[in-house]
Amino acid sequence: MIRKLVRSRFLFVVPSLIFLAIFVLFPIIDIFRMSFYQWDLLTPPMFVGFENFRMMLDDKWFWNSILVSLKLLVVSVPLTFFVPLGLALALYKETTSSKILRALFYWPYMMPAIAGTTMWKWILSYDLGILNYIMKTLGFKPVAWLLKPTPALVAVSLVRLWGLTGLLMMMFITGLQNISSEYYEAAMIDGANKWQIFWHVTFPLLKNTNVLVLTTSIAHLFRDFAVIYALTGGGPGYSTMVTPLYIYNSAFTQFRIGYAYAMSVVFLLISLMITVFSIRAREAR
Amino acid sequence: MKKIKLIDVVKWTFLIVMLIFYMLPIYYAVVSSFKSINEIYSYPPTLFPKKPTLQGYVEAIRGQDLLTYLKNTLFVAVVATALTVITTVMAGYGLAKGEFFGRIFLNRLVVLTLFVSAQVIMVPLFVIIRRLGLINNLWGLILPAVYTPTATFTAIQYMKEIPNELLESAKIDGANEWQIFWRIVWPLSKPLVAALTIFSFTWRWNDFVLPLLVVNRRSLYTLQLALAVIQGEYGGIPWNTILAFSTLTIIPTLVIFLLFQRFFMRGIMAGGLKY
Repeated sequence: MIRKLVRSRFLFVVPSLIFLAIFVLFPIIDIFRMSFYQWDLLTPPMFVGFENFRMMLDDKWFWNSILVSLKLLVVSVPLTFFVPLGLALALYKETTSSKILRALFYWPYMMPAIAGTTMWKWILSYDLGILNYIMKTLGFKPVAWLLKPTPALVAVSLVRLWGLTGLLMMMFITGLQNISSEYYEAAMIDGANKWQIFWHVTFPLLKNTNVLVLTTSIAHLFRDFAVIYALTGGGPGYSTMVTPLYIYNSAFTQFRIGYAYAMSVVFLLISLMITVFSIRAREAR
Repeated sequence: MKKIKLIDVVKWTFLIVMLIFYMLPIYYAVVSSFKSINEIYSYPPTLFPKKPTLQGYVEAIRGQDLLTYLKNTLFVAVVATALTVITTVMAGYGLAKGEFFGRIFLNRLVVLTLFVSAQVIMVPLFVIIRRLGLINNLWGLILPAVYTPTATFTAIQYMKEIPNELLESAKIDGANEWQIFWRIVWPLSKPLVAALTIFSFTWRWNDFVLPLLVVNRRSLYTLQLALAVIQGEYGGIPWNTILAFSTLTIIPTLVIFLLFQRFFMRGIMAGGLKY
């Protein structure tokens, strides 16, 4: 029996499997089980049936948190698509200058999200920030970036873009470098100009990369926590309160653990939907 | 004279604008971290410190216990990375080359976990860590981070490329599974081990969600947790200190990045998600 286990190489998987079971699978199962309980961490959990879910239906701030993610989706996803694409088109050739520039654009992705966001907070500060100073010098009115709902959403989108560009740009660069030059030569012989080549040759051939970039960007959007926690804390009011942050607050500042579990069920199902969608989209190549 | 093409003008204008957008926060934060308290709160802001001072750094290191946070962060990052690398390389090998029941199922499971981030399972993760008695314990930051979906997925992909003939011939030569792993698979996995080490260390260094959940005792803070917490504190830490703190915590990521650029910029981890 043991010999068979050794020969099958199952034993190599065991250590990882234990960690996977305790810290991933158990929590997932636990989400479904505990969502039917009321719990404040101190007293024993109390079974309340579907009460948490009923409460969730009436909780406008929970639905608001999903709406916030959707708003960010509308602003952020196009930005995190076209800016990295633009950079990749400018930098995909293997020259010294483009290698250096790539590294510079990649750097923010490597940084701790909290440190990067802190730097942005300093730039965006209403009275001390250099951004408002530049805007004033150019004759614009200063913007209360982190103190007003719409500017705060814009600020979050910009910081997300800043932190995610490196990864997405590299995906595009890999995609662009994988396109055989024969396609371009053929298009050139047909007399196409650069713009036509891009729209009719490059862009269609990048289909897989496009899907990869979009799904990565969306997946990141729904798991964003650190950037928003540090930049706006969900505010002003609830204007940037995304679901993970709202769940965190319910659980750890209000100690509505059971309710936080119930919201996690919905959040998990949303993540799962995105997962299935991504895998389908990536496999459909 | 060479004719300047319109497309090059557009390209370089775009690149310069983008370069300002991506570098300005870093430049301005680093520059401001060398300003004195008076200068940092004066208006108009200066693009370069009039009288550079280390005041912020001294305050960040002495006043904020930065060295304790550094020690905690390094302990977590080093131990977690070691555990991740060993278990992941083994798991990758087993999942790619194993011949046991359920192997395909487990491979699919790994792909699914790619999309389960700590943010999604935050509450139950806290509960299990609490039940294990690991709240306010640095091991509570290490053990939950050992299994990393992205790393495991990468390891499986890598191990699939190892030719079966190599393993077969070693078996014929009388090597047992353990010897095959350490004498053949591990040496062939050096690029994988290097990539996993670099990434795992960076992930742990940058991590925020897990420390936020697990640690609330100051003496156990990691750097990123401390950086987030001091900003929210009543009374306020001066900005030059906060920015000095931020600058110090991004230096190691820069060093790692410059030393191992090729791992980040291409190849086996390019498709990965941030964990």
